[in-house]
Amino acid sequence: MTQLLEIRDLTCGYGRIDVLHNISLAIGAHGNVGLFGPNGHGKTTLLRAVSGLIRPRSGSISFNGTDLTALSPKAIVELGVIHVSQGNRLFPDLTIGECLSLGAYTKAARQREAASREEVLSIFPKLKERWAQKVRTLSGGERQMVSIATALMSCPKMLILDEPTLGLSPKVKEELCAAVIRISGHGVPIICVEQDVEFLLELSQHLYLLNHGEVGAEIKPGQTMDHSEIMSLYFGK
Amino acid sequence: MDAAAQIFAGGLFQGSLYAVMAVGLALIWTTIGVFNFAHGVLMMLGAYVAWQLTEFGLPFFAVLPLSVLLMAGFGWALQATVVRPLIGRPNIVLVVVITTLAAASLVENGALQIWGPRSKQLPALGDGNTMIFGVGISLHQLTIILITPFVLLGLWLFLHKTRLGLALRAVAQNEDASLLVGLNVRALYGLAFAISAGLAALAGIFLGGYRFMSPVMGADPLLKALIVVVFGGLSSITGPIFAAYLIGFFEAICSYYFGLYWTPALLFAVLIVTLMIRPQGMFSSKTRGLA
Amino acid sequence: MFNRENTASPGRVRWQDEAALMLLGFAVLVVLPFVVSDSYSRHILIMAFIYAIVASNWDLSLGYGGVFNFGHLALFGIGVYAYGLLTKFLELDPWLALAASGVVSTLAAILVTLPILRLKGIYIILVTFGFAQLVMQLVLSQSDITGGTQGMVRIESLYIPGHNLIRDQKFGYFYIALGILALSTIFLRVLVRSKIGASIIALRDNEEYAVSRGISLARQRVITLAASAFFTGVAGAFYAAYQRNASVDVFGMSLSTIILSMVLLGGTSTIYGAIVASFVLTIFSESMADFGAWRPIITAVLIIAVMLVYPSGLSGAAQTIFRSLGRLRANETDNRPDATEPRTSR
Repeated sequence: MTQLLEIRDLTCGYGRIDVLHNISLAIGAHGNVGLFGPNGHGKTTLLRAVSGLIRPRSGSISFNGTDLTALSPKAIVELGVIHVSQGNRLFPDLTIGECLSLGAYTKAARQREAASREEVLSIFPKLKERWAQKVRTLSGGERQMVSIATALMSCPKMLILDEPTLGLSPKVKEELCAAVIRISGHGVPIICVEQDVEFLLELSQHLYLLNHGEVGAEIKPGQTMDHSEIMSLYFGK
Repeated sequence: MDAAAQIFAGGLFQGSLYAVMAVGLALIWTTIGVFNFAHGVLMMLGAYVAWQLTEFGLPFFAVLPLSVLLMAGFGWALQATVVRPLIGRPNIVLVVVITTLAAASLVENGALQIWGPRSKQLPALGDGNTMIFGVGISLHQLTIILITPFVLLGLWLFLHKTRLGLALRAVAQNEDASLLVGLNVRALYGLAFAISAGLAALAGIFLGGYRFMSPVMGADPLLKALIVVVFGGLSSITGPIFAAYLIGFFEAICSYYFGLYWTPALLFAVLIVTLMIRPQGMFSSKTRGLA
Repeated sequence: MFNRENTASPGRVRWQDEAALMLLGFAVLVVLPFVVSDSYSRHILIMAFIYAIVASNWDLSLGYGGVFNFGHLALFGIGVYAYGLLTKFLELDPWLALAASGVVSTLAAILVTLPILRLKGIYIILVTFGFAQLVMQLVLSQSDITGGTQGMVRIESLYIPGHNLIRDQKFGYFYIALGILALSTIFLRVLVRSKIGASIIALRDNEEYAVSRGISLARQRVITLAASAFFTGVAGAFYAAYQRNASVDVFGMSLSTIILSMVLLGGTSTIYGAIVASFVLTIFSESMADFGAWRPIITAVLIIAVMLVYPSGLSGAAQTIFRSLGRLRANETDNRPDATEPRTSR
C-alpha cells in the first residue's frame, strides 16, 4: 500500500551545508502527522523540500507514488500538496479577498473557487468582516487564518502547516487549533510542525521528533507516551 | 501668467513622458527586484523598430501597437537571457546591473550597425501646433499628455482587476508565498519584462516623434527614469508616477529660470537630497528589501 | 568566515612570498620591451597597464569594500581632464599635473562619498551612476575650456630630461606606465593587507558586527573610495599625456562596461585578478580590432557569458585549483589524525 507521503534517505540543505541527513519518514498510514523538535534542526527545511522550494541533494520524496523531487513548486501545488509556510508575512498589500482568489489560481482550484470560498468562510467566519482589508492591517492571528484559508482555496490533497500557532496569544491559539481540527475532520490529511506538543497530540497520533536533521524518535499510534517522556526526548538527556 | 501656463504645459508634457519611461522600470524592480540598465536602450529600440515599420510602408496607427508588441516580445527574450538564469544567485542585483549594461551596449552597437549613426525622426502623433489657454503647444505633445493617463490607467486596471495582474502583484510582495500558491513565477518575470519593454517602446516612440533619434538616445532617458524611480519610491508603481509629474514640473521650472545646462545638476541634487532624507523615496511607506 | 572564497584575509599568503612573486611578475614585464620592439605592440601593453590600474583600483572599492561605485570611470575621466586643464591653463609642470590630477580625483571621490555614506545596495549604484552622468554633463557644458564634444587636443606630454619620449617607439612611455602600475599595485596590496584593509573587508562581510566593534562605516567608506581614486586619476592623467588628447568618451558606458568586465573576469577582491584580466581582455580585444564595430558587441556577449557561467571569474577558478592542490599537499604531511578543522571547502 503506497503511503500518502514517503520520504526516503533525504539529504538536503543550503549551499554547502546539509541540514537533513538521510532522513526517512512515512506519512499517511496513521492519519495526520506531527513534527516537533528544537529549532534550527531541519523541520522547515524538510517541509520546503517537500513543497519544492529546495532541491534535495539525495534521496526521494513521493506523494501518492509520484516523485516530487524533480517537480517545480507549481507542479507540486497542482498535485494537491499545499504548504503553509512559517511566519505570516503573506502578501502584505493584498486584501483578504484577493489572497483567497490567488489561492484558487490553479485550474482545478479555480473551478471549485466558489465552493471553496464557502467552506473557508464557514471555518473562519471572522474573515468575512475584514474581506476588503489589506493583510498588513490584520492581527497576527487573523493573518494566520488568511494563510490557512488561502491554502484551503487550493483544494489540498495534503496540507502542510509550519508552526501555525507561533507567536499567537492563547485564546487565538485555541481558535486556530479548533479550526485546524475541523479542517482535518473534512478529510484533509495534515502534516503539522509545531512547538506545542499538546496540540500535536490532539491533532494526530503519529509524531516524529526531528533532532539534528535526523529522526530522533517516532511515536506511533497506540504508543502511549507520557508528557514528561516526550519532554525528555525533546530536550535530550 | 503666460510664463506660468508655459511652464505648466511643459511640465505636464515632461511629466507624462517620465511617467511612461519610469513606470516600466519600477515594475521590474518591484516584481523581480532587479534594476534593468537596458531600459534606455529598449526605448531607443522601440523608436527604431517603429521607424523601420513606417519605412516598410505601414500606416502609423498600426505601427504603434505593432512596435509595442514586438518590443514586449524582445523584453521577454532579454529577461530570458540575462536575468532569469541568474535567479537564485546571492548578488543578483549587482550581476543583473552588469548583464543588462552589457546587453545595452550590445543593442546600442547593434542598432548602430543596422541603422547607422545618422539621426532619424519618427512621424509625430499629430501634426502642427495649437493654442490652449494661451499656450502654444504641438499636437504631438498634446496627444502624449492626453494618452498617458489612459496608458497608466490601463496598467493599473490590469494589475488590480485581472487575475494575471493579481499574480504579478503577489510576486512583487512575496515570492516564496507565490510559489506555494502555484504561480509560475518565472513566466511572470517574463511578463513583467515584456510589459516594461512595451512601455519603454511607447516612450521611445513618443520621444522619436519630436526629437532626433540616434542609437545613443536612450542614455539620458534612462538617467531621468532612474531619478524618477528613486525619488518616487522603489516599493510601488504609483510612487514613481507621482514623482514623474513632480519632476516634470520641477524640470520645467528649472529650465525656465536657470536654463538647460543647470537642470541636470539640480535634478541630481534632488536625487541626493531625497536619498539622504528619505531613502525609500518620497511616496513609499516602506522599503522592499533593498539592502 | 575566514575561508570565504575571494577573501584575501591578511596573512593568508606570507607577505614576503607575495612580494617575491610580485617582483617576479614585474621583472618579466620590465624586460618585455626588449622582446617586443614594435611601437604598436608596446601601445597595446601600455593601454593594458592603464586599464589594469583603473580596474584594480575599482576592485578595491567594489570587491574589498563591497561598494559598487558606478562613477569609478568618472574618476578616471576627471584625471584626464584635470591633467589637460592644469597643463593647458595653469601651465603646470606635467609631472606635477600628473600627481595633482590624482589628488583632484581623490577629492572628487570624497565628494561623491558624502551622499552615499550610509546608503545601501542599489542606492549606491544609482547615486554613483548619476554622479558619473553629472560629471560628463559638466564637462560638456563647460565647452569653452573642455572643448565640449570636440574634446581637448595637443595636450602637453610628459618629459624625461635628455630623452625624447615621442620618437623612441614608446619605450619611455612603457616604463612610465609600468611604473605607475607598480606603485598602484603596491599601494593597493599594502592597504588591503593592513588593518584598514581588514576593517574594510569586515564592513563588507558583516557590517553590523564590524560597527559594533567600533569600526566607523562612514570613515572607512570615505577611505576606501578615496584610496581607489588616487591612482585612477593618475592613470587618467597619464592617458591624457600619452594620447595627447581628451574626449568625453572616457565617461561613456562602453568604457565602464569594459573595465567592469575586467574586474569581474579577474574575480573580485584579489587586485591581481583584475590586472591579469586587463591584460587578457586588452590583448584579446586588440586581436579583434579587425572586426571593427563588432568588437563591442562581441565584448558584450563575452561579459554576459562570463557572468552567467562563471561568476567568480578567473581568480575564483585559480583559487579552487590552488585549494585542491593545497589539500593534496596537506594530506601528505598531515600527522594530526584527529584534526577537527571544519571542512568548509569542497
